[in-house]
Parts: sequence; structure tokens; C-alpha cells
Amino acid sequence: MGETQIYLLAWIVFFPLAGAGVTYLAGRTDKRFRDYMACAVAVIEFLMTMIILITMKDQTAGVELPGICQMGLKFETDGFRAVYGTVAAFMWMMTTLFSTEYFRHYRNRNRYYLFMIMTLGATEGVLFSADLYTTFIFFEMMSFTSYVWVAQDERKESLRAAETYLAIAVIGGLVILMGLFLLYHQTGTLMIDDLYQACQGKNVLAACVCMFVGFGAKAGAFPLHIWLPKAHPVAPAPASALLSGILTKTGIFGILVISCKILFHDARWGTFVLLVGVLTMVAGAVLAVFSIDIKRTLACSSVSQIGFILVGIGMQGLLGEENILAVRGTMLHMVNHSLFKLTLFMAAGVIYMNLHKLELNEIRGFGRNKPLLKLAFLSGALGIGGVPLFSGYISKTLLHESIVEYAGIAGKSDQILGVPDIRLVEWLFLISGGLTVAYMLKLFMAVFVEKNKDRQRQKAYDDLKGSYMNTMSKIVLGICAVLFPLMGILPDRFMNWMADLGQTFMGAEEAAEQISWFGMTNLSGSLISVLLGAAVYLLVIRGWMMKKQADGSKEYVNCWPAVLDLEDYLYRPVLLQVLPAVAGGVCKVLDKLVDVFAKIQPLAAYVEASFFNTIQDPVIVEMKKDIYHGSEEPDDPEEGNPVTHVLGRCCNAVKHLLNATIWKKHPCKTDFKHKFALRYEQFRENMMLIGRSMSYGLLLFSLGLCITLIYLLIAAVRMA
Amino acid sequence: MSDIILLLLNMCFPVLAGLEMLLNRKEGSQKELARKALTAMIIAGCFLILNVSGKEKSVLLFSIGSELPVYFHMDALGRLLAAVVTVVWTASICFAGEYMKKEEDQKRFFGFFLVVYGVLMALCYAGNLVTFYLFYEMMTLTTVPLVLHTRTREAITAGIKYLLYSLCGAYLVLFGTYVLNHYTTSLNFTPGGTLNLAAVTGHETLILTAAFLMILGFGVKAGMFPLHGWLATAHPAAPAPASAVLSGVIVKMGVLGVIRVVYEIVGADFIRGTWVQKTWLTLALITVFMGSMLAYRENLLKKRLAYSTVSQISYILFGLALLQPEAMTGAMLHVVFHACIKSCLFLCVGAVIFRTGKTKADQIRGIGKEMPVTMICYTIASLALIGIPPASGFISKWYLAEGALDSGISVFFWLGPVVLLISALLTAGYLLPVTMKGFLPGDTYDYAHLEKKEPVKAMVIPVAVLACLSLLLGIFCGPLVQYAGQIAEVML
Repeated sequence: MGETQIYLLAWIVFFPLAGAGVTYLAGRTDKRFRDYMACAVAVIEFLMTMIILITMKDQTAGVELPGICQMGLKFETDGFRAVYGTVAAFMWMMTTLFSTEYFRHYRNRNRYYLFMIMTLGATEGVLFSADLYTTFIFFEMMSFTSYVWVAQDERKESLRAAETYLAIAVIGGLVILMGLFLLYHQTGTLMIDDLYQACQGKNVLAACVCMFVGFGAKAGAFPLHIWLPKAHPVAPAPASALLSGILTKTGIFGILVISCKILFHDARWGTFVLLVGVLTMVAGAVLAVFSIDIKRTLACSSVSQIGFILVGIGMQGLLGEENILAVRGTMLHMVNHSLFKLTLFMAAGVIYMNLHKLELNEIRGFGRNKPLLKLAFLSGALGIGGVPLFSGYISKTLLHESIVEYAGIAGKSDQILGVPDIRLVEWLFLISGGLTVAYMLKLFMAVFVEKNKDRQRQKAYDDLKGSYMNTMSKIVLGICAVLFPLMGILPDRFMNWMADLGQTFMGAEEAAEQISWFGMTNLSGSLISVLLGAAVYLLVIRGWMMKKQADGSKEYVNCWPAVLDLEDYLYRPVLLQVLPAVAGGVCKVLDKLVDVFAKIQPLAAYVEASFFNTIQDPVIVEMKKDIYHGSEEPDDPEEGNPVTHVLGRCCNAVKHLLNATIWKKHPCKTDFKHKFALRYEQFRENMMLIGRSMSYGLLLFSLGLCITLIYLLIAAVRMA
Repeated sequence: MSDIILLLLNMCFPVLAGLEMLLNRKEGSQKELARKALTAMIIAGCFLILNVSGKEKSVLLFSIGSELPVYFHMDALGRLLAAVVTVVWTASICFAGEYMKKEEDQKRFFGFFLVVYGVLMALCYAGNLVTFYLFYEMMTLTTVPLVLHTRTREAITAGIKYLLYSLCGAYLVLFGTYVLNHYTTSLNFTPGGTLNLAAVTGHETLILTAAFLMILGFGVKAGMFPLHGWLATAHPAAPAPASAVLSGVIVKMGVLGVIRVVYEIVGADFIRGTWVQKTWLTLALITVFMGSMLAYRENLLKKRLAYSTVSQISYILFGLALLQPEAMTGAMLHVVFHACIKSCLFLCVGAVIFRTGKTKADQIRGIGKEMPVTMICYTIASLALIGIPPASGFISKWYLAEGALDSGISVFFWLGPVVLLISALLTAGYLLPVTMKGFLPGDTYDYAHLEKKEPVKAMVIPVAVLACLSLLLGIFCGPLVQYAGQIAEVML
């Protein structure tokens, strides 16, 4: 960390936290003012991060706030953090500007703005953190504040999804915490820059696995990706954009810290991350192809793209010193994916705010005759599909190249993966790319090309024309959409610059070799993906997943078997029913363990009551006058006890029956209830007598015991 | 001399004030009573501030016989606890002024409330085991009227159960006292212990047994398995302010007893590595998990919080059982934090019960809309208890876990942190649904019939102060950590 303190960094983190409070207060009086306020905070935040990015570039400098939370908060900026902090602030700015229109008809908007802007501060805190302690503090803060977005509209599904989100966040957070405990115990430092030195020669694998699980859960890595497909469709669109674009990246940030700062260039670790990455990439893509809800598709797509990024991180570890391509690919794909999801979710948000529907069959045909929306969505779709001339192509090519590069050295004695393994990874990579193209095509065709089968509805959609969103939203969407072709056509200007800034953080120092972006070898990879995607779309989606209806039109059908829902069929039953039932049963037994002995408690209480009776008169009467003054005696209880009541009632019933039949002439008149009660009272009185005499004996006994003990004590003291 | 008078005033004034209230025959109005109690409490608080800010001091009051001195000594630990007690007490008494409006016999309640405060002060300053035991028993007896205040059948049963458990614990302690008296040079609390090493040789087992019984005995008050049963019965039965102090402070006196005996009579070194430590650790961890699990499955809010206390106090006991400075620091911090947090939670729930009459977790949908400030305080305290940074619980758990890992005691060094984290997860599971349902009642919630039910300021302010404390003590914890660290350093 540099000598000079860059206080601007602390401002970047705390300004939104303070701004959130002010915005909330403003919102209690004037709603318009609140909206302006929120936008102003987001814009100022963006400008501040820009200042950091422009002035600091890839220098490392930081600020420390000692004493806060004991260990102090430490922030730091370098190329990677500056770029990502800026991307985060940019996304916040765009979504906040978009929110004004989106939330027009929502309830509880104040709450939304409060937590959204707070999360901005927390997220910047995570991204600019210089030690894992600070990371963790802001990470937890971020998890909790973002929970509120998911639950924002308070529908039943939203609440359930939000619950899942929070559960994953809390569990993830605790697992990270365990990792931090272990790490700190072994190294004595949590400073990210010092970790590599401190971890030399120490076994920190357990700590790293713990942290990986926690950060991976936030990133959406398989098998903890379950919150994404649930949370995104129900969250408001601006929130989905941020969840998917930025919050998942904070998880990636954590994983990068493990991979690049602790287990740096560790091939085994790389293989592990690669494995998780491949699973996530394929699972997400398959889920997305099956989905028939636009936001769910985008959410699953996020899972898949996170998988791509994890593959990049895995390749970094595997390639070791030679990992420059993987590093740059990872960095660029992170930025790209954030921006894609920003655009795509906002486009989906435009649809939702007009129709309040997300299902493909319902929104089908909405985008016809809406050129701006169509182009924006198309730009995002082509970008995420990795089509040449769009920015996604650049990052995917780099990732692909890194796999190919490893294939060149795989199979040598010191490498973990053999040639067939890495070929498999490559093909899965290309297939996932193909699936990406397929599901984006599915969305695009459904919304922007096909007609709704309900004619009237289609007409209503067409009549919306220009009035479906306001100027502000148009500008926002337009700016986002222009970015991708711009970055894709001039990769050396924008993409290389970002990659240069980012690579120091990931431990790559050398300059990248010049890549001929549009050479045949690189284009072929993309071409394979696009062709595969087109084939999947035509054969699988159109052929299998669309079913002919009675009237001849085709509809999208959900072909995904419900049994494969990990959350409903595995996590929830196990965590909410099986485990609590078992553990709770055991605990219940433990809890009552002593109370079994306390069943003699009535006797003991009895003894005590008698004890007080004997010494009562002078003292208690006097005390009653004062302390218990004015209190009424409890009512006399009904005679007898439950047992005599039941017995008596039974006998009375039998008596009535008999009186009515056999003993008609000589009816029996005894009231058994009363009789039993009397018997019981007699019995009780006897017992009381016995009890009293016993207790008197006990009392004398214990008095004697006390005296003896005191005597012994004094004697002991004397002796000593 | 003025120092000593101050020390005595600190203890005696509340007792006298309380007795005056109890024995005064004049029927005051409710308002007058509440005001009187609060004034007395504030004066007592001033004495405390003057007293605590002064230097360390000790006074030998008198001796029972010639050998049993009643001796007070104000050390760092006593100061800390006295301060905590006072904060919680002032908040609770302020809250009670409004809450007790619905109850009868306020005079008795406030009277005993003040008396108990005085007794607790004496307990904090007690300088030897005899004095400690004396006031420990007195505390038990004077708190019983608070528990059975409502005098419903349930409350009386709870009161008797509380009394029985406490007496049982006290006798275990008494036995230990006899034994220890024989084998120590003095019963004055001295960091490092006062065992007479010459006399001890050959009787190690006896002394260990005695120490263990004393841990168990004080563990009754601290709610350690297997003698935790009274907590879950007594808390729901007592009025909310009484539950708040029971849970926030009274149980901590059991912890104080354990610290005094283990660290200042027997000595940590004597226990380290023996079966006593292992058993103690096991019991503490069982309690941590059991308490959380039972709280998770409990629907009655106050009972849920009571089980939560069972679990949280055992965090502290676990920290103490590790006999390790970091863990001890964590334990001391958790004493302070838990006192603020738990009394805040109890007062919040008390306010909900007071205003709406709802006592169960599944009834309080939309409560956050009705009583926003109270529920925000509840949420902050909940987050602090779970250990979400930057709120306070996180700091203490950090120290506890680091201490456990550093202690290197086989199995427990990793099992401890794991159990703590699982328990934290369960804590989230039983506290957060209240907030979630309270603030996010769902789209079917009837906003048209929403009625603001925020209680009056006298109730909200103490709750808010405690909630702020549980947040701010975490953010600006430096001095506190240092202070706790010094205590731990002296003791070990």
C-alpha cells in the first residue's frame, strides 16, 4: 500500500451509505425530489470512480481507516479494482436512471432506493477492499441490503425466492467466515497483497475451499446456483441487472483473490476451479435453453457465463506462468458480462413494465415495430453470443485461445490434465457457446420476430409504438447498446486497455502479444459456436420444445422435468425438514433431561409451601400488608381434580343410563362427581398432614445440616 | 475515604431506595412511581459513574465471626460488568415505567427492581468468595418476585422452578467453597489463583471435582446444559423488562462467578488440560447447539429468545473454558454485547406484546409497518446477535473463534468454530423471519387498515439506545477490545 492516503476511496464507499439515508428521508416528503436525489448520488459516485480510474490508472494506492471494527478498514485501488469499481458505478447509474420510470407504480419505493444505494456503497467496499476482513464486512452488508430488492414486490414467489437468496447468502457468508478464521489463524494477516508471501509453506487448502464455497455461492457456481434462476424473475428488472451484473462478480472477485493471491499458479487448484466452471457453464446453458420465461432465461444465462469466467480462472491456474491469455480473457469477460446483462435485463424490464408478464407465450410479438428496443436487445444478444464484431467475441476468443494453448502443453509429464481432457473442455466450451446463441435466438425470435397468436393482443402491442418507454429510458438503453459493437469493432482501443489495467491484479506482468482478432483460426471457433447454436435452435427448440396447439399455432412448452429442481427436491427438504427434525428431536430430549428429575418438583414445591406456612404468620402478614398490599387472593379452585371430574362424569353417565333402564324403580341418586371429589379432598388432606410432618422433619434436618456445615467451615478456617 | 463511601453508596443507595418504595404505605399514582424509580436509577447511575471512573479500591466491611470477611474490591472486570448492568438496568426501568401500566403491584416491581440492582452492584464488586456467595444467594431471592410478578399459575410455577434450580446450583457452589477454603491461602479473588500448592498435592482430584461442581453450579444461572431448564420457563412468564434484565444481566452473574472461581481462585493453569476443561467445553458446545436448535423450533417469541440466551451464554462459557487470552477477550466482549443485544430484543418483543398482545412468531405479520422504529431496532439487534459485520456480535465471535483455533486443544479447536457458525446460522433462522414477516407482509397485506402502533417515547428510546449500542460498539470497538484484552491478560 502506498504512503499517501487516497481518501477519495473511502468517500466512494461511504458516500452512497450516507446518500442512501438522505435519499430515504427526502422520499418521505417528496417523491420526485427523492428520484432526483437517487440519480444524483449514483452519478456522483460514477464520477468519483472515473476520477480514480483516470488519475490512478494501474498504480496501487490505498487508504486505511484504523480502529473501525477492531482490525480497521483498508481500501486499495489498482487497475483491476478501478475498472471494476467504475463498471459497478456505471451500472448503478444506468439502472437508477432507468428505475424512475420502471417503478412508477410500485409501492415501497423509498425502501427500494434506500437499500439499492446502500448496496452500491457496500459493493464498492467489496471491490476496493485491501484486506479480506474489509471484503467480508462489506460482502455481508451487501448480501443483506440486496435481499430487500428481491423481495421488493412482496408477491408470494418473490418472498420465497428472497428467502432462498438470503439463506444462500447467510450460509455462504458463514462458510467464508470459517475460511477467514482458518486463514487468519495460519497466516496472521488478511491483507490481500501479503497473503501470497504469508501462505508459503502453509496448508491453507481448507481455508481456501471454505472461501471458495462462500464466494462461489454468491457468484452462482454449480451446485449453489439455485438462487439465481429463482431470484431474477421475481426481482424488479433494475435489481436483476445489478444482481446478475455486479453482485455475482463480487463472488468472482473473492474467487480471484483465492486463485491469484493465495493459491497463485497452483495447477491443482486450477483444475478444481475449471471443473466447477465447466459444470456451471454447461448446467446454466442447458437450463437457459429449457426456460420459457425471459428473465429466467437471462438468469440461467448468467450462471452459464459465470461458468465461462470460472473456466478462465481455472485456466489461469493450469497455465501458470504462461497464463496471459486466460487472465485477459477472464478480465474482459467479467466486464462484458456485466454490461450485457445490464442491457438485456433492462430490455426485459421494459417489457415487464408494459405488460407485467414474462412468460414467452404471453410476451410473444411485443417487440415488433419497436426498433430501439429491438436493436438494443439484439446488440446484447449478439454480444453475449460471441458473434464477431461484438465485444463478447473478443473475451470468448481469449478464453478459447487459452484452452487451446493448454492443449498444446497438455499430456506432458508435469501437467495434470491430459490431451483428451482438455479437448473435452474445449468442446464443452464451444457447445456452451452454441447453447448461448440458441437461447438468445429463442428469446429474440419470440419477442421481436414472431407474432402473438392472440391477434388482439398483438394489435395492442403494435399500437404502443413510441409510448412504451420514456426518453430517459431510451437514452439509457441506447447508450448501453452502442457499447458492444463499439468495443467489438475496435478491440485494441478499448478491450486491450481494460485488459492491461486488469492483469496486474491477477499476477500477469508481461505485455500481451498482438492477436489478430479477425484471423481465420479465431473466427472458426466462433463460427462453430454460432452454427451449433443455429442447429440447436432449429432442431431442439423449434422441433421439440414448441408444441402444436389445437388451433395450429405453436407454443413454447416447459420441458424441464420438475424433479430436477435442486432447491425444491433436495436443499429445502433436507435443510428445513429432515435436519431440524432429527437435531431438534435430540435437543428436545436433552432439554427435558433434568426436568424429568424435576417431576419431583411438586413434592419440593410442597415442602417449600409448608415451610413458608410454618414461619409465615408474623413476617408474612406484615409483608402482605405492605408489599402484597391490595392484591386479591386467587379464586378458590373448583373441587376435585381433572381425574375425579372425568371419573365422576363417566360414573354419572352410567348411572343415568342404568336409572333410565334397569333401575327405573329404585333410581340411584348419588352424584359421583361430588363423591369422588370429596374422597380426593380427604386423601389430599391426609397427604398434606403427612407432607407437613415430613417437611417439618426435613426442615429440622436441613437446619441441622446448615449448622453442622457452618461449624465445619469455621473449624476448617481455624485449622487453616 | 470518600472513595470507599462512594463504593458503598453505589451498592446501598439502590437497595435503600428500593426498600423505601416497598415499605412506603402511601399509594402513589403509576406515573409518580415510574418517575420515582427512574430518578432513583439515574442517581444510582451517577454514583456508578463517579465510582467506576475512580481508581481501583477495596474495603473490608466486617467479618462474620473472625474468619469470614465481607470484603469488596473493585477491579477491571467488576467495573466492566457494573457498567453493563447499569446501562441495561436504566434502559429497562425506563421501559418498565410504561410497560407496567398494564400490570398490578407496580410498587413491588419497581422496589425489587431497584433492590436487585444494588445487590448486583455488590456482586460485581465482591472481593472474595464468601461475599460473592452471600450476594449471589441474595440476588436469587430478590429476583424471584420479579419472575412471579403476574402471579398467574404459570408465573408461580416458573418462579418456583427458578428458585429450585438456583438453589440447587448454589449448593453445588457452597460445596465447592468449603473444599476450596481448605486448600487455598485465601478466598480473596487474585488473578492467577490462590491455591496453596503445598496443601494441594495429593488432593488434585478433589479440587478438580470441587471446581467442576462450582462451574456447574454457576452454570445454572448461566443456563449451561444440563441445568438450563429454568430459563425457558422463567422468561416467558416474567414481565418483559424483567426478562430483559434476567437474560441480559442476571445470567451474566453466573458467568462472573465462573470467571472468579476458575481464573481467580483455582487458577487457569490448574484446570488446563484436565478432564474438567474437556467436560466443560463439551457441555458448553452442546448448550450452544441445543439452545439454538430449540429456539429455532419455538414459536412463542419470548421463549425463543430465552432459548437463544441459553445458546449465547454458552458462547461465553466456551470462550472461558478455552483458558486462552484471545478467547477470554472474546468472552468478555460477548458478555457486553449480548447484554445490550438481548435486552434490546426482549424489550422490543415486550413492546410488541404491550401494543398488540401478540406473543407468537407466526402472528406478527406486518408488525414492521405498524411499529417501524421498534422493529428496526429489533432487526439491528438481530443482525448483531447473528454476527453480521459491522455489528457487534461479529467482533466477539471473531475473537472466540480465533482463540479456539489458537488454543490447539484437540478436536475442540476446529469443532468450536464450526458449532459457533452453525449456531449463528440457526440464530439467523429464528430471528430474521420475524423481521422478514414484519417488514415484508406480502402483497395481500391490507394497507388500508394499517394502524400505527408505535409505543410512546419512554419505550422507544431505551430500545433505540440499546440497538445503537449493539451496532456502534461493534464499529468502534477499539477501546473495549483493549480493555477486555487487559482483563484477559491479567487473568491468564
